[in-house]
Amino acid sequence: MTPLASRVIVLVGVALVAAIVVITRRAWLPAVGHTFPSVWRIACITVAEARRRRVIQAVIILVVLLLSSMTFFTYLSPMEQARMIISSGLAAITVFGILLAIFVAAFLIPAEIENRTIYAILSKPVKRFEFVLGKYLGAMIVLGAIVAVMTVVLVGVLALQDRLVQDLPDSRFDPNLGPVILAAVLSYFALAVLTALIVLISTVGSTTMTVISAFIIWAIGSLQSTIHDLAENAAGVSRLVLLVLYNVVPKLENFDIRHEVSNFMSISVVAAWEAILHGLGYIVVVLILAAIFFNDRQV
Amino acid sequence: MTRRTRVTTTDLTAQGVTAAKGRAHVVRTEGLTKVYRSLLSPAGVRAVDNLNLAVREGETYSIVGPNGSGKTTTLKILLGLIFPTSGSATIFGKTIADLGVRERIGFLPEDAYLYDCFSGEELLDFYAGLFGYSKAKRRQLTDELLELVGMQENRRVPFRECSKGMRQRLALAQALVNDPELLILDEPTSGLDPAGRHQMTLLIQELKRRGKTILLCSHFLAEVEEVCDRVGIMYRGKIVAEGALSELAGEPTEIVIEARGLPETAAEQIAALPGVLGVDGELVRMGHAEEGRLWSVLERVHQAGGRIVEVRRPRPSLQDVFVRAIREEPR
Repeated sequence: MTPLASRVIVLVGVALVAAIVVITRRAWLPAVGHTFPSVWRIACITVAEARRRRVIQAVIILVVLLLSSMTFFTYLSPMEQARMIISSGLAAITVFGILLAIFVAAFLIPAEIENRTIYAILSKPVKRFEFVLGKYLGAMIVLGAIVAVMTVVLVGVLALQDRLVQDLPDSRFDPNLGPVILAAVLSYFALAVLTALIVLISTVGSTTMTVISAFIIWAIGSLQSTIHDLAENAAGVSRLVLLVLYNVVPKLENFDIRHEVSNFMSISVVAAWEAILHGLGYIVVVLILAAIFFNDRQV
Repeated sequence: MTRRTRVTTTDLTAQGVTAAKGRAHVVRTEGLTKVYRSLLSPAGVRAVDNLNLAVREGETYSIVGPNGSGKTTTLKILLGLIFPTSGSATIFGKTIADLGVRERIGFLPEDAYLYDCFSGEELLDFYAGLFGYSKAKRRQLTDELLELVGMQENRRVPFRECSKGMRQRLALAQALVNDPELLILDEPTSGLDPAGRHQMTLLIQELKRRGKTILLCSHFLAEVEEVCDRVGIMYRGKIVAEGALSELAGEPTEIVIEARGLPETAAEQIAALPGVLGVDGELVRMGHAEEGRLWSVLERVHQAGGRIVEVRRPRPSLQDVFVRAIREEPR
């Protein structure tokens, strides 16, 4: 299939979904109209709370300093500099993004229960699924802002370095900005999937259990191709367990295009769209499950 | 000394609850039971046991009981925070699962658990937002409520920097953002100093004056006596006594004459008078039914040189009633 044909298929798909949303608006709009204020208010307070957490502020400052310091790779050739900055910059966005996602998401619901702040909320006309959705939305806004800040700094560093080396002889410095931004966007969707899973676990477990599970899921999700290979060669129960892990845990690898971007390889936009759409579907299913579990939870 | 009142749902009206008789039930539970089970205790702990409760419109009802008696569990069931093992509960005649019910109630949680990094102003704006109010209405409500609870001057102080009394008043304000018909207050004066407790009691009285139905849990019996129309004494998940304070306390059982300077020689003579139960220092105690002999006893005390300070008919306090009700329960 040609790249043009792939893009046309994706565009038709998006247009189709948009048309369904518009045509069925009478069915879902009143419910959303009632639900939205509560979800939005809970999302806003989650964002405001995260903004005041010193740990998050400290991590953001640290990452910004780390990314800014990447202009010091001057002993490398311009092309190597670009490769090094892109590679380590995207790695920083991914790693710190995941650490912050785990830190933010694991405390979203358990902390509300343990601190009993949830009492004053659920005693108001707030449905439990609205609470879960609001907390998730809030976390995604926080993570979106963090990823955006880190991406802007990385893009700024690349643009600055591009200017610094352009007057040098043999200065083939390619900031590769489009793919870098796409890699950051995909990284954000990986965080969205991981956060949804963490929220699901937190609706049934404690903070400690949630944090441990989140790291395990991240590890498994990032090693899905290895797990697939292991499953191919395994037998019996091991094979079954590996296949379940392969099919249930999200394939976070699909969101990771750091290698391609830092090595200036071609990137499949269709594969990126596939990963995003697959991720969105996964998030919807996981959040529905989270709402169902939380509905029965005694707080 | 006092009549002990054991109540079931069916005989509640028969008890003659004067304050709210004939008014609609706002809160009603029937056979409400909550058992907490765990792996270590498969039989479970019965936190609430076949509870029948009825709170009528406009009344202030208090559940009193020692720690672990099931008061907070009952409130949490009514608020839909936890689910009953069996039995039913209704608020405004609707099941507690009905979200519309929560449009009409306000809840003050024990120990005022609110987000501690926000100020009172921000918190009230947030809680009002959960009712879908516009920005202008939220601002107006915030001003009014901060004024009501006396927090106008400290409206921008973060919750974590507020004193216990300020926190409790803010928590009450958040419970009032929707101008609720029913207020559920869990230990509203818990942890407050005497001044804070007095302020909170005044606030509850003000809300009562405004016609709110109030259901509160407390183990501060003095505050309960000050604000409540009816009391239910809860012990081991059951209401073991219930009624208006006067009903629970019963009739006075004796008349006490306080006389200063009564000579010891005269005390023996006075103790021998008909109707006198005994003389204890400056206190002459008479049977309550001997009221007809009161004047002659007063005359003899006066003649004997005693300066009469006070004549009173003491009723048992809520504390007496509470202690007796619990003591009489089988262990």
